[in-house]
Amino acid sequence: MSVIEIRGLSKKFGKNVVLDNIDLVIHEGDVVAIIGPSGTGKSTLLRSINLLEKPEKGTIKINDQEIDLTTRSAREKLELRKNTEMVFQQFNLFKNRTALENVMEGLMVVKKLKKNEARSIAEKHLQKVGMGDRLSHYPRHLSGGQQQRVAIARALAMDPRLLLMDEPTSALDPELVSEVLITIKKAAQEGNTILLVTHEMNFVRNVANRIIFLENGKIVADGTPKEIFDNPKNQRLKEFLVKIHMLESADYTI
Amino acid sequence: MSKIFDWQLVFTEIPALLKYLPVTLQLTGVALIIGWVIGLLIAVVKIHNVLVLRQLCTLFVSVVRGTPIIVQLYLTYFGIPIALKYYNFYNGTSYNVNGIPSIIFAIVALGLNQSAFDSETIRAAIQSVEKGQVEAAKALGMNGIQIFRRVLFPQAVTVALPSLGNSLISLVKGTSLAFTCSVVEITAQGKILAGNSYRYFEAYCSLAIIYWVMTIFIERLFVYLEKKMSVPETVSTEREE
Repeated sequence: MSVIEIRGLSKKFGKNVVLDNIDLVIHEGDVVAIIGPSGTGKSTLLRSINLLEKPEKGTIKINDQEIDLTTRSAREKLELRKNTEMVFQQFNLFKNRTALENVMEGLMVVKKLKKNEARSIAEKHLQKVGMGDRLSHYPRHLSGGQQQRVAIARALAMDPRLLLMDEPTSALDPELVSEVLITIKKAAQEGNTILLVTHEMNFVRNVANRIIFLENGKIVADGTPKEIFDNPKNQRLKEFLVKIHMLESADYTI
Repeated sequence: MSKIFDWQLVFTEIPALLKYLPVTLQLTGVALIIGWVIGLLIAVVKIHNVLVLRQLCTLFVSVVRGTPIIVQLYLTYFGIPIALKYYNFYNGTSYNVNGIPSIIFAIVALGLNQSAFDSETIRAAIQSVEKGQVEAAKALGMNGIQIFRRVLFPQAVTVALPSLGNSLISLVKGTSLAFTCSVVEITAQGKILAGNSYRYFEAYCSLAIIYWVMTIFIERLFVYLEKKMSVPETVSTEREE
């Protein structure tokens, strides 16, 4: 089984250490959720993996290819980015392109597919996320939830080895969250390898098969949802869960 | 005394002036392209904060924006020959200034003038594109050129168009000063005709009409382009196949 291995990932913003020598091995088909207090480097971890941030140190092995995350080689950067795709909190759909064109863009420009080929792949993925009837809509004519579903289709159409999702539901109105979560769940069930930052604990519990608790740039706890939620061993994790329990419904109280 | 104001001449003179319209259009067209290309280069230098070049560009933009275009025309008209003489002197060459058509001087001055103004428009337009748009393109695996061509450029153009249209209009009117570099375009021709007939006011009335019509045409063109390039206001009603 092929794996993605991240070794010694470190990132500072000024003097503030955001990621401190993170090691992380992800197996194919894993759905790994990253949880933790705000400002602990969850998003930075994701963004460092596809080099939207420049880490000070670290390597990643993906697709049997080891890449130094501090690489200056444009070719290596592109190689890494082609193997990973990102779903952003703010969707970041190309504003001047329709839903269909958004999904076709990477296929045509990066993968160099022919137009009709790209179109059929894009349509297939848009159909999957339930946006098949909105192909010629521009992002501004779509709701947040719809935009995020198009963004997920755009990422999945590129057939990434690792899908990175950075708080995909945090910018949505509450009633739009579930449609996006359902889409993510579907993507997870189809065997996509996903690394997800989220605050939707209920969702994480149901969909993720592994949870990582990140605090102060370190992985403090790492386990199955059962281990993390039902039987937390780490004191900081416990405190964090208690805080969340107070905000969330009584689902987790024992 | 004959008529004080010969209004018929205002119109009958127009065809004679229009004979030199190609010169005006040539000045405008070439200067426009020079302006956009150099303007884009300056904008890129400023955005990427390239050492030394950035300071040079800032100085250039400041000087050009801080001096009248007629002074700039004279500076190129007299400056290029002097530079050429120095070049000949130090390199033992014998390039002849008289071999350069005078329209080149005007085009250089107008083009550089345009570039200084357009560079700020282009810079602001490129920087107005949200960071997330570029990040999305990077995440898809696009390289720098692809990001510029597919994401930054199309979105920046819609922002820059109105200002670029304005700047083009002032360029069209700026070409009327090209006579200082002894280029005969429509304004110069108007002066020549008036010099013969002493009907100066009529000639300038004719010129005013020609410039105004050209400006209206450009305004329309840019409104059309703007509409075409921007995202439609309403959801398209066309059915998906």
